Amino acid sequence: MAKQTPAAKFNRALDRQLSTPKALVTAVEFEELRATGTTPVPSFTDALRDMPRERFKERLRRNLERRAKMATSTQAAPEVRATATPYLSVRNAAAALEFYKKAFGAIEVTRLMQPDGRVGHAQIDIEGARIMLADEFPEFGFRSPESLGGSPVHIQLDVKDVDAMAPRAVAAGATVLRPVEDQFYGARSGQFRDPFGFIWSISTHNETLSTEEMQHRIDEMAKNEAAALPRKYIREGFHSITPYLVVPRVAQLIEFLEGAFGAEERFRVNRPGTQVIMHAEVKIGDSMIEMADANEQFPPTPATIILRVDDVDAAFLRATDAGATVLQPVADQDYGVRSATVVDASGNRWNIFTPNEGDVIFKDFRSVTPHFNPMRAPAMIEFLQKAFGAEEIYRAQSPDGVVHHAQVRIGDSVIGMGEAHGPYQPAPATLHLYVPDADASYDRALRAGATSIQPVAEQPYGDRSGGVRDPYGNRWFIATHIRDVAV
Amino acid sequence: MKARANDIEERLLVEAAQKDPARFTDLYEANFERVYAFVSRRVHARADVEDITAEVFQHALENLPRFEWRGVPFVAWLYRIAANGVADRWQYLARESGRAAKEAPSVDFDHEEIERTERRAQIFGDVAKLPAEQRRVIEMRFAEDKSIAEIAKALGKSSGAVKQLQHRAYTKLREQALKGLAGRAGGRNG
Repeated sequence: MAKQTPAAKFNRALDRQLSTPKALVTAVEFEELRATGTTPVPSFTDALRDMPRERFKERLRRNLERRAKMATSTQAAPEVRATATPYLSVRNAAAALEFYKKAFGAIEVTRLMQPDGRVGHAQIDIEGARIMLADEFPEFGFRSPESLGGSPVHIQLDVKDVDAMAPRAVAAGATVLRPVEDQFYGARSGQFRDPFGFIWSISTHNETLSTEEMQHRIDEMAKNEAAALPRKYIREGFHSITPYLVVPRVAQLIEFLEGAFGAEERFRVNRPGTQVIMHAEVKIGDSMIEMADANEQFPPTPATIILRVDDVDAAFLRATDAGATVLQPVADQDYGVRSATVVDASGNRWNIFTPNEGDVIFKDFRSVTPHFNPMRAPAMIEFLQKAFGAEEIYRAQSPDGVVHHAQVRIGDSVIGMGEAHGPYQPAPATLHLYVPDADASYDRALRAGATSIQPVAEQPYGDRSGGVRDPYGNRWFIATHIRDVAV
Repeated sequence: MKARANDIEERLLVEAAQKDPARFTDLYEANFERVYAFVSRRVHARADVEDITAEVFQHALENLPRFEWRGVPFVAWLYRIAANGVADRWQYLARESGRAAKEAPSVDFDHEEIERTERRAQIFGDVAKLPAEQRRVIEMRFAEDKSIAEIAKALGKSSGAVKQLQHRAYTKLREQALKGLAGRAGGRNG
């Protein structure tokens, strides 16, 4: 025998209680009768199973109201309920009146004309909503959205059938800002701008919800949105690309950067019992630089960094005071910046610059941008595209094909490059690259021609990362930040 | 006395709606559960029940100006429209399935049939009068055939809370049902 659910018990009890004297049966008899297919008393649960849905009853009532209204549409405009009435200041109120009639089925209630032909006051009725309007009178400070460049107030218009009204409004010349759709709070609504610059949120109530249901829906939407948001795969404070200076004398380098460029040391960890720095992080301006003392496993890879500063002349002086050697003194460049290049004691090159007024090439650069001097820039760009989905955003090329300057974007960061010339010869660097999916990017880099340094694995500092060497000798540590780890 | 007072009230509602169709919703509210009960006892699929119920009231609204008061309850007129709707549906279903159609349902009910439809309408009305959350639970439990766990998930509540709501709803429905029974018995005797 099937297990008795509470509902079935309830059903039986009620059926007994509800049995009329004419058809009085015990629960047992009732079950027996039901087994033979004849029920003397309609089952309570059968009735509940057939019960009308509340939404259906509501919907049918609204449908009947609409039909009833159509049957009475010849009668006078319905009573106005609004107590606060929008008063629209319009450029060409006469045209607006015609528009509102066509678009919203407005009924013109009043129109008063000024001697100069302007509409001094008008009143319309849209399905019982009262709206007043007039031509703009700039001389009295009464200006239209067209004079003001828009209107900060939206008009919320509740109508019987937004799906019927929306196409009419669009046909009459309204612009769709948001198409009509179901809203979580139990209405269908859309947003429209009329040709006179007013914004209308047109809405039809379609579902009566309790506050709990609305809140529940908001919570659900928030959950779904959070799930749809891209995961934060870059460590807090970092960008997609961070130069990693693997060089000798890191402790000295940090001091130099503090003195020359206002760097702030954020993190340092020594090899236990030694002064050898295994990993350090400094912040310069809005960017991070990571560094570590070079060793046999990781030989030195000093980098070229394009460093944006507020005052290149002052920074140059501080850098040389701090011991940098000069590769190129401060000068205005023909590409719109004032710049200099210095070399620190660890061998890193700092191309410090301040954009001149009107510069468009470097204006979006962060404080720190890594720079490369490949033999042929297009080949390296192609590799970066294949391996890391880089996007070329700028290229200055002379008629003989030499690329003087190119920029590619990876994630939220930019890499600069200029083909090798004079003292600027290819030199491999090390970079820390944050990507949404380290495993996938690592595989892609290998397919694009890189070789593995270390496979992708979860690291104790909260990243999942692996390393590759690109065909130009640069080391890329490809990482996805998974969780924050207290240091 | 009570019956007569109801008749007069109903007659006023009908006349008001005949003058102003916007007042038809009062008649709708007063009779929705009975029509739905009548149709749902004869047609199985919910979608069909809803369609026919909608047609009944739309037809009634359109034809209300032609309705004449002859001392028969207004709902009897609605039942006749509903019976036609049900018969049409049966015929349609018969055509679709190739079987002979059932005969049109009779609207000359015997006492028992009236009683059953009324009782079912009474249950629908009692459910409609439950507090919103209880009503929602009953609707999901029975009309939508959902499990306690499913309801709990949909409403963002614990299973315990849903069971509690269901229990309160049952208690209330039982009270109402007994009251209704007593009322009807009294009406018959009086």
